[in-house]
Amino acid sequence: MSKTGIIIRREYFIRVKKKSFLVMTFLGPILIASLWIIPFFLALNSDNQSKVLVVDETIMEKDGVKSSLYFNKFKNDKELIFEYGYDIKEAQDKLNKGDYDAVLEIVSTNDMPPIKGFLFYSENEPSLTAQEAIQSQLSNILKDHVLKYDYGMNEKDLEWFNNPKIGFYSKDIRSGKDSYKEIKTFLAIIAGICIYMFIFMFGAQVMKSVSEEKTSRIVEVLVSSIKPVQLLMGKIVAVGLVGLTQLVLWLVLSVVLIGGLRTVSPQTFSEPQKENITINERVISVDKVGDMTSDSSQVNQVVQGLFSIDYTLVILMFVFYFITGYLLYAALFGAVGALIDVDTDAQQFTLPITIPLIIAMVCFPIVINSPSGGVAFWLSMIPLTSPMVMMMRIPFGVPIWEIATSMGLIILFIIFCMWFAAKIYRTGILMYGKNITYKEIWKWFKYNN
Amino acid sequence: MTIFSTNNISKTYANHKALDQVSINVEKGSVFGLLGPNGAGKTTLIRIINQITAPDEGEIYFMGEKLRSEHVHHIGYLPEERGLYKKMKVGEQAIYLAELKGIKKADAKKRLEYWFNKFDIYSWWNRKVEELSKGMQQKVQFITTILHEPELLIFDEPFSGFDPINANLLKEEILELKNNGATIIFSTHNMESVEAICDSIALINKSKKILDGRVDEIKQRFKKNEFEIILSKENNISDYIFDGVELIKKNTDLNFQVSTLKIEKGRNADLLSKILQKTDIISYKEILPTMNEIFIDTVSNE
Repeated sequence: MSKTGIIIRREYFIRVKKKSFLVMTFLGPILIASLWIIPFFLALNSDNQSKVLVVDETIMEKDGVKSSLYFNKFKNDKELIFEYGYDIKEAQDKLNKGDYDAVLEIVSTNDMPPIKGFLFYSENEPSLTAQEAIQSQLSNILKDHVLKYDYGMNEKDLEWFNNPKIGFYSKDIRSGKDSYKEIKTFLAIIAGICIYMFIFMFGAQVMKSVSEEKTSRIVEVLVSSIKPVQLLMGKIVAVGLVGLTQLVLWLVLSVVLIGGLRTVSPQTFSEPQKENITINERVISVDKVGDMTSDSSQVNQVVQGLFSIDYTLVILMFVFYFITGYLLYAALFGAVGALIDVDTDAQQFTLPITIPLIIAMVCFPIVINSPSGGVAFWLSMIPLTSPMVMMMRIPFGVPIWEIATSMGLIILFIIFCMWFAAKIYRTGILMYGKNITYKEIWKWFKYNN
Repeated sequence: MTIFSTNNISKTYANHKALDQVSINVEKGSVFGLLGPNGAGKTTLIRIINQITAPDEGEIYFMGEKLRSEHVHHIGYLPEERGLYKKMKVGEQAIYLAELKGIKKADAKKRLEYWFNKFDIYSWWNRKVEELSKGMQQKVQFITTILHEPELLIFDEPFSGFDPINANLLKEEILELKNNGATIIFSTHNMESVEAICDSIALINKSKKILDGRVDEIKQRFKKNEFEIILSKENNISDYIFDGVELIKKNTDLNFQVSTLKIEKGRNADLLSKILQKTDIISYKEILPTMNEIFIDTVSNE
C-alpha cells in the first residue's frame, strides 16, 4: 500500500469507528427531518392569532344601527381577529391588561372618505406581516367602498373583481410537465444547505486534525517518513470519504424510511387526478382542482414535485459540487489548521474562509427568488460560493455554458488552493510557539522548502 | 567509511540564514555529536537530513548516493519535541508509524513484541497513549524510532524527559545500536553525555560550523599543556618551579599537595627529573579540557 494509502486508511477508520459517527448516522436524518417537520406542525397548530381591537370614531348611529366605512368590515383570518370598541381610553386599558394584542384607532378627520388618521398601538412590536395585512385590509375596504358607491358596482361583480379566478399553470419548457416551483425551491435549499453543512463539518474536522498533529508534535515524526503534501492529501481524502460514507448511509436510511411510509400511507404517493381543459382548441392537462389546500394533497404535491425533477443532472451536479466544494474548503481549513498553535489564534485565520460560506447562505433567499439574476449568477461563478449557490440554481434550470464555466473555474481554483495550502501547511506545521502573522505567511511564499 | 555527508549546504529563511556553508562527515558505525547553542541551526540541519526541508544549496550524500526520498526508510528520527496520537492505542500506533517507514504489518508486529517485552511495556499494548506516563511515552517513541532498523539514527536531545534510570537504559541501547553497526547523529546540550558516547562532533554556532573532528583529537587540539601533579604533603611544589613552568593552582589537603602547572612544551622531563631527584611523585597527569570547556571557549570566542 502506498504511504498516502496508509494515511487514508488510518484517518478513515479512526473516524468511522468512533461512536459519534454512528450516532450522527442515525440521528442526523432524524434531526434534519425534525428541522422541517417541527415548523410545519407549529404552523398547523398555531394559536398565535393576534386580537386587534378597532376603535372607530367615525361610527354614526342611525335608527339604532351603527355604521361606518370600516365598522364590521375587517375580515378575520388565521393571524388576525378583529373586535370593535368605542372608547379609546378603555381600549388602551384593555391593551395594557393584555386582553388585546393591538388597538387600531380610526380618528375622525375631515376627509371623505376617511383615509387619514389610522393609529396603531401595540404592547409588543407587531409583526411586519400583521401590520401589512391590516394596511391592505384598510385599502381593500376603501377600494370596495369607492367601487360600490362611486362606480355603482354590485356585490357579485365586486367579489369577482377582488378575486378573479385566473388559470395560471406553470409548465416546464422542455417536458411540458407542471413545473413545481415550490418543490424546486425546496430541493434547491436542501441541496445548498447540505453542501454548506458538509463543508463546515468536515472542513473543520480537517482543520482540527491538522492542528492536533501539530500541537501534539507527532507531525515532526510523520514528515520524516512521508512528504507533508501526502499527509495533508491523505487526510483530506479520508475525511471526505467519511463524509461520503455518512451521506450514503443517510440516503439508504431515507429510502428505507420513504419505503416504509409508502406502505403505511399509500395515498400520499398516488398520482393526482388530472383533468383536461380546453383553451382555444388546445387541450392542457392540469391537476384537478379539488381540495388543494388540504394537507394530504400538499404532501402529495411535494412528492409529485420531487418525482418531476431531472434527477440525473441534479445528482451529478450535486456529487460534483459536493466533492469540489469540500476539496476546496478542506485545503483551506487544512492550511489554517497548520497555523494554529494551542488553539490561541484560530479565530483570525478561520474568519476569512468562513465569510464566503456565510455570504452564500445569507444570499440564498436572493438566489431562490431570482435564480438567473445577477447575484445568483456571480455567486455561482465565484468558486468560494459556487458549490452552494450553483446547487440552489440547478433545480430551476441553468444554461449549460454557465454550468461548464462554473465547473471549470472551481477546478482551477482547487488546484490553486491545494498548492497554496500545501505551501502554508509544510511550513506552518513545524512552527512552534510563534505567533504567526499574515505578514509572515506571505514571506513563506518567497522561499522554497 | 563515510555513511553520511553534507557538502557546503546553506539554507536561508525569509530574513535569516539558518545554515551557512556547512559540511559534515559522519563515519559509519560512529556516534556523531551535533553541538551548538540554541538557535544555531542544529534543528534546521536535522530537518534537512530527514528531508523535512531541503537546503538552498549544497549536496547531501547518504550511503554513497545523493540523498533521495527512498532513503527515509533507512533513517530513524527522534525529535526533541516528542509526541504521539493521544487517543490512539499504543500498539496500533506503533504499527502505523512502522508502516509509514515501509515495514509490513505482520513484520512490524513481531518486532514490536520483541521491543515491548524488552522495555517491559508489553502490558500497555492496548492502552491509549494518554494513559501512559511521560517516561513510558518516551519509551514507545524510542521503539518506533529504531523499529525499522535504520542505518542512520538521529536523536535530538534524547535524554530530556527521562529519569536517571531510564536515561541510563537509553544510553546503553544507543551504544548497543552502535555496536550492531548503526550510525548515530546525536544532538544535545548535555556535554557529559557527549564525552560518554560521542566519537566525533561538529559544533555549529550562528549557522556556521566552527569546529569538528574526533573528540579525542579535538581535546588534543585544545589542550593548554596543563598538568596535575600530586606530591606528598611535606613538599612544596614552588621549590621546583623554574622558568617555563607556571603554577596555576595549589591545594594542600590532609595528606597531599595537589597542584596544577602549565608547562612549556618540552620542559616536562626537566621538571619531573628535578622533582624526582628530591622526592617521589604520587601522581602526574595531563589535564585535557572537557567538551564543556571547549564548547564555551569556542562559542564565546566567536
